[in-house]
Amino acid sequence: MKETYILGIETSCDETAAAIVKNGREILSNVVQSQISLHQKFGGVVPEVASRKHIETIAAVVEEAFAKAGLAYRSIDAVAVTNRPGLIGALLVGLSFAKALAYALNKPIIAINHLHGHIYANFLENPEIEFPCVCLVVSGGHTSLVYMPSHQDYQLIGETRDDAAGEAFDKVARFLGLSYPGGPAVEKAAREGTPGVNKLPRIYLDREDFEFSFSGLKTAVMNQWRKLEKLGLADVNDMAAEFQQALVEVLAEKTIRAAQKYQVKTVLMAGGVAANSLLRSTLKEKAAEKQLKVVYPPLSLCTDNAAMIAGRAYIQYMNQDFASLELNAYPGLLSL
Amino acid sequence: MELIVKTEEDMLGLGKTLASVLKSGDVVCLHGVLGAGKTTLARGVARGKGYQQRVTSPTFTLMNIYPAQDPIYHFDFYRLGCGDLTDLGLEDYLEKDGICLIEWPEIGADSIPLEAMHIYIGLTDEDYDRERLVSIKATGESYCRKIKELEQIVDTGC
Repeated sequence: MKETYILGIETSCDETAAAIVKNGREILSNVVQSQISLHQKFGGVVPEVASRKHIETIAAVVEEAFAKAGLAYRSIDAVAVTNRPGLIGALLVGLSFAKALAYALNKPIIAINHLHGHIYANFLENPEIEFPCVCLVVSGGHTSLVYMPSHQDYQLIGETRDDAAGEAFDKVARFLGLSYPGGPAVEKAAREGTPGVNKLPRIYLDREDFEFSFSGLKTAVMNQWRKLEKLGLADVNDMAAEFQQALVEVLAEKTIRAAQKYQVKTVLMAGGVAANSLLRSTLKEKAAEKQLKVVYPPLSLCTDNAAMIAGRAYIQYMNQDFASLELNAYPGLLSL
Repeated sequence: MELIVKTEEDMLGLGKTLASVLKSGDVVCLHGVLGAGKTTLARGVARGKGYQQRVTSPTFTLMNIYPAQDPIYHFDFYRLGCGDLTDLGLEDYLEKDGICLIEWPEIGADSIPLEAMHIYIGLTDEDYDRERLVSIKATGESYCRKIKELEQIVDTGC
């Protein structure tokens, strides 16, 4: 059988990334140029800065992906690129580059939904995952539960009504004076603190559906913090620990319930918040009680990268799901 | 105008009423601290314009689009932290075919039209459990007229 080499390009947010993946499984190269240090001083992503940095680095990042893979440009079979969702200016940099390259090499172009890429990250190192599965997608912009009968069929069964989990981490971190990105900062502080010293709500845990809400949790943190400050009892580590605990409990419990309702044997995780070690361990514990298998990508594939894009593209390549050079970028969410 | 909003439900209701005086081309800036209720008010406006689907925080995406009776462009400048908004393509949306709702407008103040409606949502005694004090202000004649209209139909709770 002929081997298939796909170049993936990802520029939807912070990272300028390019990767080459063989047969949707084997990562030959995975180059990520992170802009986080640039954004840190602003406490978040600055789109204008993000786009400019993407433009400055994209060519070098793609070149490095080829060099590391030891492949010539013409030896790839397709160019895959994230075209939604994301920051429009940032997406367009990757998209334009991908189009030009595909045109010059006379190779097909494959449009990838960033979320499909995150979900696919699970399959890069675990080829034996059996369908159907349920995947918890948790990142700065998303908190969703997805039921997956197959690679061709991703069904959204629940998502956040207001803030995403990663957004809650970022906002609470900023409020408590911790650093950006908020996830690792809260996790670090939480390790020094004790959950339960402060009591925060487990929002929507009592509901049977798979909806989430984290806006109220964020408000509860701020409210309690203000009151504790007045009493001189505010301890950032204890608050971080309880916040993380409240958020993780809801995510893990609802994911397990979804797995049971949809009668799947395997639970997947995707997105930057899937790197949170309390979420990983809690989900594993709860899954073990129900004889469920939990799979999550390695840390390097949880955050934005292009290997997941090139990997997912293999599924679409096999289905001849190609885009035209008229392909556009779409910032909007809500599309699975 | 000033009013007191006691519950989240009332904030949604205020948004719905607000929607009745807004039309395409209007720009509404939503001011207030984290958790004050800006997204809830925006959700109310979307509901008032017949949009029943999800209205979530645009913090991460920077902009959400709701295909309501009048299209609604829901912006959030929270993460921007500094001036230049050119990459958002803001000028393609402001005062065009839809209603622009902007959270954290002070961060992109230079890009916001001089004539606009400004809504300030404040906490009572810094307590998130208590009622919100909402102050609606306007610059420009057409927005001042909208506030007069609102004064007729809004229960100020004061």
